[in-house]
Amino acid sequence: MIIELDEFTRVEGVGKAEIVVENGTIKEARVKILEGPRFFEVLTLGRNYWDVPDLEARICAICYLSHSIASVRAIENALKIDVPESVNKLRELGLWGEIIESHSLHLYLLALPDVLGYPDAISMVQRHGEIIKEGLAIKALGNTIREVIGGREIHGINVKPGGFGRYPSEAELENIAKHARSLVRFARRVVGIFASQEPRGAKAETAMTTSEYLWGDELIIEGERIQYEDLEEVPVSYSFAKHTYYKGSPIFVGALARVLLKGIAESGEAERLLREHREKIESRYVIYNNLAQAIELVYALEKVSKICEELLCEGIEKVIVEPEEKEGEGVGYVEAPRGVLVHHYRIEDGKIVWSNTITPTAFNQGIMELSLLEDARRMYGSLPEDSLKAKLEEVIRAFDPCISCSVHFVKM
Amino acid sequence: MKLGVFELTDCGGCALNILFLYEKLFDILEFYEITEFHMASSSRSREKLDVAIVTGTVSTQRDLEVLKDARNRSEYLIALGTCATHGSVQGSVDDTKAAFRRIYGDIRGPTKVFDPRPVVDHVPVDFAIPGCPYNKEELFQVLMELARGVEPVAKDYPVCLECKLNEYECVLLKKGIPCLGPVTAGGCNAQCPALGLGCIGCRGPSMDANIPGMVEVLKNILPEEEISKKLRTFARW
Ligand code: SF4
Ligand code: SF4
Repeated sequence: MIIELDEFTRVEGVGKAEIVVENGTIKEARVKILEGPRFFEVLTLGRNYWDVPDLEARICAICYLSHSIASVRAIENALKIDVPESVNKLRELGLWGEIIESHSLHLYLLALPDVLGYPDAISMVQRHGEIIKEGLAIKALGNTIREVIGGREIHGINVKPGGFGRYPSEAELENIAKHARSLVRFARRVVGIFASQEPRGAKAETAMTTSEYLWGDELIIEGERIQYEDLEEVPVSYSFAKHTYYKGSPIFVGALARVLLKGIAESGEAERLLREHREKIESRYVIYNNLAQAIELVYALEKVSKICEELLCEGIEKVIVEPEEKEGEGVGYVEAPRGVLVHHYRIEDGKIVWSNTITPTAFNQGIMELSLLEDARRMYGSLPEDSLKAKLEEVIRAFDPCISCSVHFVKM
Repeated sequence: MKLGVFELTDCGGCALNILFLYEKLFDILEFYEITEFHMASSSRSREKLDVAIVTGTVSTQRDLEVLKDARNRSEYLIALGTCATHGSVQGSVDDTKAAFRRIYGDIRGPTKVFDPRPVVDHVPVDFAIPGCPYNKEELFQVLMELARGVEPVAKDYPVCLECKLNEYECVLLKKGIPCLGPVTAGGCNAQCPALGLGCIGCRGPSMDANIPGMVEVLKNILPEEEISKKLRTFARW
């Protein structure tokens, strides 16, 4: 017998799942990514490197800046472009802005209805209007940062290899810093709500992040430093997304992995909250990715005001650095809100001749299935089928999956 | 009035942008009840709709079924975003079969895959709003007009016009930066030239676009094969 989970809701993109039951026991769980392919690796070929980050941004709207920046970093590595410190700081600001936008979207509008027992955020407005409005205010700040750094709320084209098209003004940075500070107390509230969730899903035994908090030249996986080629990618016939393993274990990427492997360095509200909820985080149940995101949201708000202040004090070098070379090969690792994102290109005569992308949702496929399997085993038989399905969907949602990003990257 | 939002193959941006309307979303909710919106809600309704919004391209069998169902159940259908109106990035792939094989090898995949095509190629639509993503203000206006029983009017001028109205410096002629503003449908308020960058054509071709003229101008700046790649990022011209 097969229990079919209908197309997932309150996630981005089209995916389903199947739970295979044999003789009354759960045998297997399959996540079927059904989103149509979008061919980005092919579309980038033959294009001038300059045009590629804008194209790659279209992979995902929720984290378009992560894609632009991963793409730009891969190009800069390939063509040996060295950007000033202030350019990197502005990019970091943009990525924190994206974490704010994406985490608040996920926590307040997509996941919160699960905790409070509603079908969606809109129907929560009557009784929980306050918290939804707080979430929207945080989200709006995230989008303002994306607009200032990226050029538009969605799919801006301001992030360029070597620098930016337009640089932000002092007034814009001051405004961001002020707003970020004032929103910390809202974000704090949501941490408590997600800390109340019961442990669910698989345990993230093999967590992976980039070597620095938001990017890096290497990946860190349970104490080891690796390149993405060290991972094993396995295609499956029932899905448009491949599964990734490290030494035979499924990998987990995302906020929980970041908080687990990196902690939160600066002292502040986020650090205090992490200490308070450390036990839950260290239990590694993937449902606590929600909690980790909530703590990280507070961290992001604190970081954003700090980076703005640094930029205001140190000044910005408004340049676009030209490449030294016309060919080369480079990888860009960035932490998108939902985890490690890889862009990799080979460039010849200024044109992309080979391109590969691996997205966080693609990395998480294996552990997503494992989570469904373990939860189904835990709950099968003790719940009516409809409630079981709804509970299983909650675990999928905790990954904050962006299904359209997982599909086009299977084999080069 | 009842409103449904349907997502086919895309990046999720056009559906997401509806949530980015913030307070304006609450204004919309005064006239509309959103009975279906899979990205935002778990309730699944099979009701008749006054307005259906469809984003994305028809790239799979599943997409086609969702689209036909949306068309059959709705009075008024809006194709929203460049994926739905012109095909956007995936719609500009030349040879889907070869591209598919190149990325997926021999795997057939879980559903039937089609050549990605815009919604407008498959069903009659009542209104189309291009943009990757579209301008939120434009969607808001259109929904409000429909709520008042007014038929919205499509924009029929190029990005260049908006650039001039804003008195931006022409990036193409003054700075020699490749810009598709002269042949791209306006409505975004010339967002990219505002940053000193060339328009990359994300809203698709404008009415009466003079493509040969555009190519002639770009030839002074870009090699020819790059011109055609640039033009064909969001639409098959
Ligand atoms: S038109 Fe652009 S923003 Fe809209 S869904 Fe398609 S790719 Fe995304
Ligand atoms: S200027 Fe061109 S690329 Fe930029 S938003 Fe407008 S139509 Fe899109």
